[in-house]
Amino acid sequence: MILPISNYNLTFRSNKEEKNNEPYEKDTLLKNNFATRTRIGLEQFTKAFTVYPARGLKGSKNSNFYEFLTMGTVPYVIGSITLMSIFNSAAKHFAAFDKSKSLKLGNKMALGVIFYALMKSLSKSFVNVPVKMATGIDTELPYAKVNYLLPEDEEDKDLTSTEYHKIGESVDFTRWDLLYNTEKGEVLNARYDKIAKKNGLGSDLNDSDQDVKPIYKEVLIKSKLAKSISTFLWAATGVALAFQKPWENYFRVATLKFWKGKEFTHSLKVFGQSFIDSAKQLYKGSPGSFSVLERHSGKLMIGTALTSTVLGVLNTVHLTKKPSKIDNVFDKSKESVVS
Amino acid sequence: MRTTNLIQSYVNNSPVKRQYNSDKAVKDFDVKKELSNRTFIKPLPSNGKLVKIGPFELMSEFRKDIKYDVKALVRAAKGEANDHELGRLNDVGMKVGGLAIAAYLATKKATPMTKAFEFIGLTSFFAAMDLWPKLFIQLPAKLVHGVNVRQQYEDNYGRKKMFYQDHQFIPWDLYSDKEIDKIGDRLNVPKNIPNRREFIQEKMRKIALQNNTLWMLTAGFATPVMSALICNGLEGPVKKYLAHRTDKKADALMTNFAQEIKKYDFSKNTRKLEKILADNAGKPITPEILEAIRVNITDGLDHMVAVGIEKDLHRMFPVSERYNFSGENITGIQDALKKTLSESGLSEEQLAKIIPGKERISVALEQKGLLNGNFKEFSEHSKVIQNILADNIQLFITENPSAPEAKKLNFLMKKLVHSQEHGADSVLSGTFKSTSSSVLTKETASLLQNISNELNDLKARTVVLHKFAFMKAAQAPETGLADSWGEITETIMKSLNFTPEEIQKARLDREFAGSVLRNKLEAITLNQDTYGKFLEDVEKVLSSLQGRIETLDMTQDSSKNKYKAAVITTFDDSAANLRKFGLTSTSEALVGFPQTAHTSTKELYFNFLTNRVKGVTSSIYRFIDLADVYYKVANVSGLDHVLHSGVPREVKEEMVELAKQMLLEGHTSDFSVKFWQKRNPTPDRADTSQIETAMGKVVNKYFGKRETTELAELVHDREYFEGVMKLMFDGDVHPVTHSKLKDAIFFKDFMNYRAQALSVLGGDYCFTRPNCLVNGHRVDSTSQLKFLLMGAAPDEMILKMANQKFNSGKWFSMFGKLGAALVGVTLISQLFFGRMKTPKPTKETK
Repeated sequence: MILPISNYNLTFRSNKEEKNNEPYEKDTLLKNNFATRTRIGLEQFTKAFTVYPARGLKGSKNSNFYEFLTMGTVPYVIGSITLMSIFNSAAKHFAAFDKSKSLKLGNKMALGVIFYALMKSLSKSFVNVPVKMATGIDTELPYAKVNYLLPEDEEDKDLTSTEYHKIGESVDFTRWDLLYNTEKGEVLNARYDKIAKKNGLGSDLNDSDQDVKPIYKEVLIKSKLAKSISTFLWAATGVALAFQKPWENYFRVATLKFWKGKEFTHSLKVFGQSFIDSAKQLYKGSPGSFSVLERHSGKLMIGTALTSTVLGVLNTVHLTKKPSKIDNVFDKSKESVVS
Repeated sequence: MRTTNLIQSYVNNSPVKRQYNSDKAVKDFDVKKELSNRTFIKPLPSNGKLVKIGPFELMSEFRKDIKYDVKALVRAAKGEANDHELGRLNDVGMKVGGLAIAAYLATKKATPMTKAFEFIGLTSFFAAMDLWPKLFIQLPAKLVHGVNVRQQYEDNYGRKKMFYQDHQFIPWDLYSDKEIDKIGDRLNVPKNIPNRREFIQEKMRKIALQNNTLWMLTAGFATPVMSALICNGLEGPVKKYLAHRTDKKADALMTNFAQEIKKYDFSKNTRKLEKILADNAGKPITPEILEAIRVNITDGLDHMVAVGIEKDLHRMFPVSERYNFSGENITGIQDALKKTLSESGLSEEQLAKIIPGKERISVALEQKGLLNGNFKEFSEHSKVIQNILADNIQLFITENPSAPEAKKLNFLMKKLVHSQEHGADSVLSGTFKSTSSSVLTKETASLLQNISNELNDLKARTVVLHKFAFMKAAQAPETGLADSWGEITETIMKSLNFTPEEIQKARLDREFAGSVLRNKLEAITLNQDTYGKFLEDVEKVLSSLQGRIETLDMTQDSSKNKYKAAVITTFDDSAANLRKFGLTSTSEALVGFPQTAHTSTKELYFNFLTNRVKGVTSSIYRFIDLADVYYKVANVSGLDHVLHSGVPREVKEEMVELAKQMLLEGHTSDFSVKFWQKRNPTPDRADTSQIETAMGKVVNKYFGKRETTELAELVHDREYFEGVMKLMFDGDVHPVTHSKLKDAIFFKDFMNYRAQALSVLGGDYCFTRPNCLVNGHRVDSTSQLKFLLMGAAPDEMILKMANQKFNSGKWFSMFGKLGAALVGVTLISQLFFGRMKTPKPTKETK
């Protein structure tokens, strides 16, 4: 394995003793838990709105694809707010009746935007969790990548930056190297061993990494496909949920002023009830609707999202790239394998 | 891995290694020279190319992309896809999700327009996502700098990627020196600087990066706003297209009436009826069976007809009136006796002694002629049974005087013949009524099936007729008439040319809307040109409406009007056939008798269209009449038939004011109960001069000059009210109005409207006060007709329109401004992009 840096005894700081702002010295595998995910999410979110746009607008040499992709959060967030505002902000100037009618739609639209994002993000676990349980492969395993930058002016001293990626982010260039245990006293292939055992490739394998990599890659590809399709369908279901009539009860009492205890608690209670009623209505269709399509469209929506997830997961855990077991490559009874 | 192999292959076969290992080493090989030259460590020549798609290749590129995505999907499902393919599939997922949202929301929307806009909204959103960077980032950058910041390239494997996607990996070798030089010239890079190509490349990279960042920062605002603006812009054309389509669809319903009615399948209902009839064949028709039949055959029929059928069925099959009674019913009587008397606690044997035998009962009943026949009531039967039972009980008590159960028997006997519930049958008499005299015979079943078939035919026909009427004229969004109404009011609004300030004021309430409209009309009618232009606009749009509502004219002969012909055939034929089956009430509900024809369902199908059209046309005619009266007043011309020399000036002023107000704001109630106005009870009778006007308004000499305490409501001034009505609707229209409208297709109808308004509204017995009649003629009318003649009050019409205009204007000004500001910032930013310190040119050495 050729690591880009370790071949050279170089430092990317002008002064070795100087404190490094970046939290990692080298590419580091991270634990996939709530705390880490939140920390990474927050850092990426902050940088997407501050450091990266500043660097991009300056035309920095060090801007890269990671920063561009991370900046994708900006249009997502601003776009959501703008979309909410398009349907709501003009309404306050309208006459009372028009205003109430317009806000009903506007509020649902705003809720739809929120539910879209929530369901999009939540539904990833609908694939990740069962896939991890079945195959032992965590497709969302994060790692911190230490990046070495080019100096842009003489004052630049700290020339490292940290990026957060996922081991399986690229199926072509998966970071296999980080899955090895390189710490002293640990089994090098421990992680690969575990996955091999879980998938019935056997234990005590000589090169479990070589056996596991093809199926790991297969799981990555298939789960990515499953997520690409199903998460958007779940997001659409979220929007459909937001467009149910019972939410109007919530909009009447909705408040985010948590310091007003009584009102806030009441608002939460109504939110819960509206959520339940809306979910029921999404499933059953609006009461009194005569159109067959309208009565069943909600079921169809949920059914499609559910089916896409189930099929996606089933396809992912159905592994076809397991290495074939070749017994007795060397026939010990013969002196030579060449006849 | 390919990279490793290349490196390995290079290491193993490097020229340096070959030189020392080979016998054929190049002589005088200068390592330093080779290294400084570096040509030998260049990567393999690329097979990639820059993508240059012209407008003619867009379709083929689109097809190519779809093919690629399908292939990617298959490969991903097999677990073989690469990063690029998976990236494309994510976009596919996003579009599928978007489509799912639009499709779901469309099912929740009621009208074609709102349904269509779910998909238009989605498409415009994706279009905006694509167009914003192309139009406002890529194009300006290209125009200002000559650099295509969204250049795409195809890599060795034919995968399309953005050229400046990753700034740490830009495949510069795809640009030839010539191309780079050309861009450099455009960027004003001096020709003779060292490493010119590298400098130009860096400048291009910088411009691309800055633009891509700008794209990310602006897309969030731009995409939803642009999408909304696209939708806003498309609303008009889509509405027009859909209106046209709905109209054509409705007409096709009548043209293909015979085929259309076949589309409705009632087989499910028919099968259900067959099952009811088969299950109950030969059985007496009970109220439950009759109800099941009624529900089945009236399903989908309107209330009036359904009630008629219910009446007919009960008349034809009187289930609750007469009952058959024969020897077969006796077992039921015995069971009922046994059940009641068993409460006494007697044993089976003892009960057998008390309960009379079958033969004894039948003999006793037969003697009195009470067996085998159909009976309405069973008191005689009951008496016979009671007598036999009483004898048996008496006998039992005599035989078993000490038995404790014996005492209970008399009590239970009473229970048998008296019901606890008022009016209900006792247990005993109830047992006689088990067999209704109406039996579901083969003939009855066949008759019911024939009735059902006839009614199914009627249902199919009325559904198609109803569909036509709804699409053409229902009070719902996007019907033909509603669209026409929208177009006409829009034209009136446009023609009146309200300023934003007027709209802002008029939207507040009726009072403001009325005053704004009044000022506007007074200004327009001041000048013959502006008034003429207004009339021309209204004439144009109203004439086009006339063409569209021709099919709704129920005064036409049925040979010319397909809808009318279909209504007549449908109802007359059905009524005749059903009458043959004995359904007289149903037949009456359908077509009525001469006296009741006006309330028949058939008439409803005519009236619905006529009334809807009348409501719309009356509203417009009233508006034209309003303008005409205002014009007459503004020019003090054409008023002499009312404001003649015998009328005091003050009364004239009062009349004009009331007429102007009534036309502008009057509702039906104002015409039927009061013409409220505070007037001077003692006007100056000597001054009979004509009113005077200035700037379109009346210059009042008397009106409004007195304290309100001096004024009173003169409710009995019959002539005054008559004068006001005549000022509004009587006499000729002004010659200018006449000249502008005389050739209009609706002119005659308009004049008829004025005459009808005068006679119907003014001829009402209770017009202002009882017997206060215009021209002394009393005209019998309906509330509905009066309502339709009044149409929409112009001030309310303007109030609604002003609100719509204000709302969309407000929205447009907010987001239009945001969009414009965003475009401005984006464009100006270009001027600050790509700034770099240019190296000093190298001096040419001689």
